[in-house]
Order: sequence, then structure tokens, then C-alpha cells
Amino acid sequence: MAEKTAIVKRDNDKVGQIPELVFRVLVLLNFLIILFVTMCTAHALWGYVHEGSALEFLIRAGRVPLMNWILPFSAVLMFASLLLLLSVECNNHPELVCKLVLEFGIAIAISYVTGFGYTGMIVLLLADIMRYTIDWQKRAMYILAVSVFYLFMNGNIVQEWIGVIPLENIWRYYRADYMSRFLGILNMLSLVNMFVFIFYMVILVLAQMSEKERIILLNRELKEANEKLEEYANESARMAETRERNRLAREIHDTLGHSLTGIITGIEACIMLMDIAPEATKEQLRAIAEVARTGIIDVRHSVKALHPDALETMDLEDALYKLIDSSKRSTGVLITTNFDADLGHLDQEEEDVVYRVVQESITNAIRHGKATEIQVSITRKEEELNIVITDNGIGCSDVNPGFGLHHMKERLEMLGGRLDYKGEGGFMIHAVIPIRKGTDEQ
Amino acid sequence: MNLEFFKKRRFRVILSILIAAAALFVMMGQLRRISFSKEKVLTVGVFSDSYWGVQNGYANKIIDDAILAFEKEHPGVKVKYESGIMKDDYSEWLSEKMMNDSAPDVFFILGRDFSTFARIGALKDLGDLISKDEAFDRNAFYKSAYEYGQYGGRQYALPFECAPNMMFVNKTILDRENIELPAKDWTWDDFYEICRKVTKDRDGTGVINQFGTVNYTWIDAFDANDVTLFDEKGRGCDFTVPEVGDAITFLEKLEALGSGYALSEKDFAKGNVAFQPMLFSEYRAYKSQELSIMKYSGFEWDCVTMPSGPNGDNNSRLDILSIAMSENTAQKDMAWEFMKLLTMDPVIQSEIFDYSAGISVLPQVTQSEDSLSRITRNTGEAFNLEILKSAMEKSVIQPRFRGYENAKEEIGLAVRSILESRSNIRMEQIIWNRTINNYLKSLQINEY
Repeated sequence: MAEKTAIVKRDNDKVGQIPELVFRVLVLLNFLIILFVTMCTAHALWGYVHEGSALEFLIRAGRVPLMNWILPFSAVLMFASLLLLLSVECNNHPELVCKLVLEFGIAIAISYVTGFGYTGMIVLLLADIMRYTIDWQKRAMYILAVSVFYLFMNGNIVQEWIGVIPLENIWRYYRADYMSRFLGILNMLSLVNMFVFIFYMVILVLAQMSEKERIILLNRELKEANEKLEEYANESARMAETRERNRLAREIHDTLGHSLTGIITGIEACIMLMDIAPEATKEQLRAIAEVARTGIIDVRHSVKALHPDALETMDLEDALYKLIDSSKRSTGVLITTNFDADLGHLDQEEEDVVYRVVQESITNAIRHGKATEIQVSITRKEEELNIVITDNGIGCSDVNPGFGLHHMKERLEMLGGRLDYKGEGGFMIHAVIPIRKGTDEQ
Repeated sequence: MNLEFFKKRRFRVILSILIAAAALFVMMGQLRRISFSKEKVLTVGVFSDSYWGVQNGYANKIIDDAILAFEKEHPGVKVKYESGIMKDDYSEWLSEKMMNDSAPDVFFILGRDFSTFARIGALKDLGDLISKDEAFDRNAFYKSAYEYGQYGGRQYALPFECAPNMMFVNKTILDRENIELPAKDWTWDDFYEICRKVTKDRDGTGVINQFGTVNYTWIDAFDANDVTLFDEKGRGCDFTVPEVGDAITFLEKLEALGSGYALSEKDFAKGNVAFQPMLFSEYRAYKSQELSIMKYSGFEWDCVTMPSGPNGDNNSRLDILSIAMSENTAQKDMAWEFMKLLTMDPVIQSEIFDYSAGISVLPQVTQSEDSLSRITRNTGEAFNLEILKSAMEKSVIQPRFRGYENAKEEIGLAVRSILESRSNIRMEQIIWNRTINNYLKSLQINEY
């Protein structure tokens, strides 16, 4: 949820620079307008007092105005305050709403000192909101809020409530032609303000569109690279397969082929010798047996070459400890063990599966589960060997068995075992292998 | 300043709020509240000449005495005022002070300015102070004088000095015509009867040279007949009520007696007119020995209550000089104490009878024997306090809403036009009612 409400202010990268520049123009323009209005008003108020028409003005205005110099002074302070607020970046919606409320307050204060003759600084708030990347629904809500506020400010509601002397009323101090000229300038500047704002919006939308295009382009490139990578991976797998096949072919050719050729030749000789020299035949058969024996040894060697390295040089328990130890050291994950069963009497195939299950599970826990603690337990219950590996990782609510799990299951099924797993609250794998040899000893 | 620090979000938010708060602080006019002086200063807005147009050389005497008493009672407080401002410039001076955010804490308000200043929000609503102050008793004042300080249902000012409008009588004419001085509950019929009797050509030139009354205006007639023209906020006016018709008919009758002579105050001063409504301050001023030779010296004169109409009473319109507190005062409580001293202290109030031409707003002071002796001190004539008492009790005040002065002119125009036309008064009333209401509506439109 936290990720969903987070909002980001656009960076000032290349695309963001032009709108930022226009925004600054907008700020400067508003500052000038506010200064113009408050200075004229202040001058008029000063004039009333110095020309001795204060009473007449008060009767006409219906309320006591602020003192002349206070108007431009507080307007400048308020504007500075507004700019500071506008420069504050918000990270989520509550912050943005708070900021907006504060900005509304300051906008009312500025409008107040301009006698509500100028309320165009609202577009600054609108422009600021447009700088955030917010989804369109929420953005529409913000725009609606600011627009309603703008209407409200121009609808004489606030004026009546606070009690404001209309700008025209104060500016009546000036000669009619000057006053109409001043009002004309104010109208013109307000319109320019609006135009700059519209320009800003257009620029912003264009910038946003070009940014979107850039993202689409990047996405496409990424996808292509991904596809290529997948191809490479496939190819390399194919190559490994071919290599392995070649090696097997060579191995078979070198060992079995050699022995079988020798045996066939020897047996053919025996067939011919059998009637003539039975003794020599016997001798020959012995030699053939020797060849077959050598052959089987060679085959065993070849098969051994396909076994895990660790198992070749040490027994299963040691190999498992070594595996766990190296995983601990290389990843820093805490792995606890509970080996309750005698692992010394398993045949090679079974050892192999046990080793592979543990290895694959630890790898999965670290890689996919981001686990920091893993528990490996191997227990024996009657005629079954139970391997349970649990972790404290993120787990997976809907387990979609990948290649690793699938492979594990296949190997276990070949031995008549089974595999269970569940992914809630960390991942748990439970492998069961029926023990054939161990039954005798029990 | 460390720039890294400036880049922090929190810092910018706090700085922004601080700046906005500082701006608000300045806008609310709080700067002037900052004072490094230990001595508290209370400023007072006063004008240096008489409110009643009677110059007697005691211009600031009462305020000076009040300040003396106040400073004695509150050590460490200094009360200051700017002297030398004339009454005619006073309203403008006060307005300028208000616009420059330097209005005095306490100031006098001329009768005609009260509704303006109350409307623009320059006066402090005294409601809270009054309800908090147990020593304050609104019943100590004359009711209408106290109510004069109300605008839109709130109390903005306290009365300081007042003068009721009374009927001045030329006793010499009445004696010559063998007419008795009217009783204090006399009516329009009595008034008309006397006027009819005295209007004559005394020297036989064929030209009338002795008249009944001068300056008896529609305002006096409307007051006498209890006409309430406007609603409280001055948004509407009912000119069609029968009381208005009665008053206009009466005025028409009075005018018919004079048969078209244009009279002025001067005619009364010369002794050719029997009655003229004038403020009681005028009586006090010209009854005193110093000024008695300046005006009304050729005949005997006195004042009586105003005559009553068929629907009303012997009502006198009251003119009031009041005191208000600035909305922006930093010394609310001190200002309130000073206002109370000026308006409610019997000693200060009784000085009005020594140094000013009005009368005190406290019945306790005005109706005391002591005051009576001061009024009659210089005249040597007996003064009937009952008449003054009755006038004050039946006093009425002018409506206080924006544009009343202009609306008054509009009504004056209407009355004059009806008097001069020969058509049915009732019809004219209806026609003019529409015009006046349109005028009031235009006032409200201008407000926004």
C-alpha cells in the first residue's frame, strides 16, 4: 500500500527543464502583479490621508483599510512564504493535501491585501500539482479542488465573509482615466498570467509525452536484450548437452566398446577352439572374463565421473556438512542441522538424491526466498528417510514448481519416494525416501 | 547559512510558516503593541472647541480634570491628547488617524459620525467589557442617551454630554397677546392655536410682521407623532403610515398661517416669532450673563417641551457627544476605566454644567439641585427643572444606519414636495414611498 500512495516529483532532467523555466516565469509574473497592485493601493491610501479625504473614503469604503505600507510589505512576505511552500516536495498524498491547505491560506491572505483584485496566484498551486506524477484520477481530484477554491475566491463569498474593500473602491483615488488605465494593466497582466500558465501546461504535457515515449523505447530495448540472453542460455545448454553426449559416446566407445569387442573376438575364438583344444579354450575364456571385469571397472569409473564431486571423495554426511559450511560462508545465512539418521548405508543413487535435494533446497531458499535462516533436518522413521528443509524467507503463496523442484521430484519418484512442499510463512520442503538396504539391519 | 540545511524539507516548511505568521502579525496591526517603555500611555482623541458651538474658553477643562483624576488613581499611566484640533476638522483628523493605524485609544465621537465609525468597524464592541464589569450600570444613564451608542444591536459608545431639542418661547409676544406659557404636556392643537393667535400685522402696514413659529420641521413633527419610518438596518421605509399623513397635514396648516413668508432664525432673534425649536445647549449658553447680550436680548424668553402630536408624546430629539474606544486599542481595560470616569463619574459629569453648554447624561447629576443652581446661577431667573426632566425622559434619538443623512434629505424633499403640491396627501405618500425605498435600495447596492 505504501508503494501505491507514494508520489514523486519529476526530476529536473532534460525534459523537465523547459517547464521549470516557464514555471519560474510564472512566479516572477505573479510577483510583479502583486507588487503592482499593492503598491498602487498603498499609494492611493497614502494619498487619501495626505489630501484630507480620509473621512470621505472611510464612509465610501465602509471599513478601515490596512495601513498603506503594510500592504506591499505583507504581500512580499506572504509571497516568499508561498514560494518556500511550493519548493517543498511531498512524498505522499496526506503531505500534499496539508501543503495545499497551507497554500490556500496564504493565497487568501495575498488576495486579501490585493483587495481580491488579483487571485491569479492560484495557477501557481495548480502548476505545482501538475509537476507531480500522480495517477489521473487523483490528479483530477486535486485540479477540481484548486478550481473550486479559485471560483470560491472570485465569487465574492470570502470577500463578504472577511470584509474587504474592493480594489476599484480604493483606486477611485486616481483620476478616472488613470484608474481605468491601471485596471487595464491589471487585467492585461492577469491574462498574460493565464496564457503563461496554459503554455506551461502544454509544455508539461509534451514533456510528459516524450518521456513516455522514451520509456517505451527503453522497454523495447530491454525486451530484445532479454530475448537474446535467453537464446544464449538455450544455446549454451544445448552445447553442454552435446558435449556431454559426445563424452558419453566416447566413454562408451572407449570402455564398453573396447571390452565388448575383445569379448566378442575372444568368444568367437573359443567357439572355434572348443572342440580342438578344450584347455586352450578354458584359458581363453578366463582371459575373456578378465576383459569383461576390466570393462565393468571402466564402466564404473565412467559412472562415477557423473557423480557429485564431494560424494566421490567423502561420505554423504561429510559431504553435506561441507556443502552447508560453504553455503554459510559464502552467503552469511544461518543454517542449522539436525542429522538424526545413520547415512552410512545408503547406496550411491540414494546418497546422490539426498545430496541433490539438500543442495537444491538451500539454493532455492537463498535465491528465491531471501531467507536468513535455514533449518535442515534428516531423520529416519521406520523405513523412510525424511528430509525436511525449512526457511524464514518470504515464501511463496502459490507455488509454481520450476525446473529445480520438478527435477527433484522426478529423481525422488525414481527411488519410490515423494516430495511435499508449502510456501506460507517461509518455504518448507519435505522429501521422503524409502530405504531398501537399511531394513536388513533393523 | 549552511546551504545543506536550507535544502531540508522540514526547514523550508517551518520557515514558510514563520514568514506567513510574521506577515499576519504585521497585518493584524500587532506591531504597535510592542512597547519597550514601562510607562503605559493612553491616548485620547479630543477637539478643542465646543461641541455646541458656544465658545467659552474652557475648551479642554473637563478632559484635563478627568486626566488629573485618572492619573492620580492609576499611577504609572500617562494620558495624552493632541490639542488644537477644531471640531470641524475633528472627523477628518480621526479618520486619518484610523487609516494610519494610530487612532487614539479613547475618542469623542460627534453625533453625526457615530454610525459611520461604528459601521466601518473602527469602534470596539463594548459588550464584553460591560458584562464583565459589575460596577457598570446602564440604568445610570438616560435611556435614550445610552441607546444612542448602539449600532446593529451592539454597544459601541457611551454618552458623554447631550442636549435635547426644546421649544424656545418668546414670552414677550405671549404676554402681549395674553397667552399663558404652554404646559409641559401641550399638544399640536395648543401649538396651532397660539400660532394662529400671534400671527398678525402689528403696525398696520398690511404686511404680517409677527409670526407663530420658525424652523419647526418635518423631523420635529414626525418625532412628535411617533413616526418610525425606517426599519432597524435602514433597508426599508414605510412612508405611507397615517402618522406621516397627520404630521404633513399639520405642517401644511402651520405654513398656511405664515401665508408664504420665508422666515429664518433671525426673525426669532429679532423677537418677531413666538416659537422656535432649539437645542437646550443654546438656552444654557445665552441665558448666562456673558453671552446673554449677544442674542435674544430684546425680549423675554424661555423654553418649554415640544408639543405632542395626536399619536405621539412631547418627544425631544437628543443630540449627543459620545465616547468610544478604538477597535485596535492595546489598553482595553485602561481605556474602559477612563471612559467610565468621563461618562459615569458624578464629579466630572457635573463639570459639564460649569464648562460646557450641554447637560450631563446622568439623571442623578442633571436632576440635582446642585445642577439647577448652576444652570440658573447666571440667569437670575427661575428655571423649571421639571421641563428638562420631562424632555430628557421623552427624548428620542435619530436612526443610526448607513446613509441616514442622505435618506433624511430624501424625505425632506418628499415632505416639501407634498406640501407644495395641491394633490391628495395620501396618494403622494404612496408615490414617494416608492421613490424613497428605491433610494434605500441603491444605497445597499453601492455597499457591495
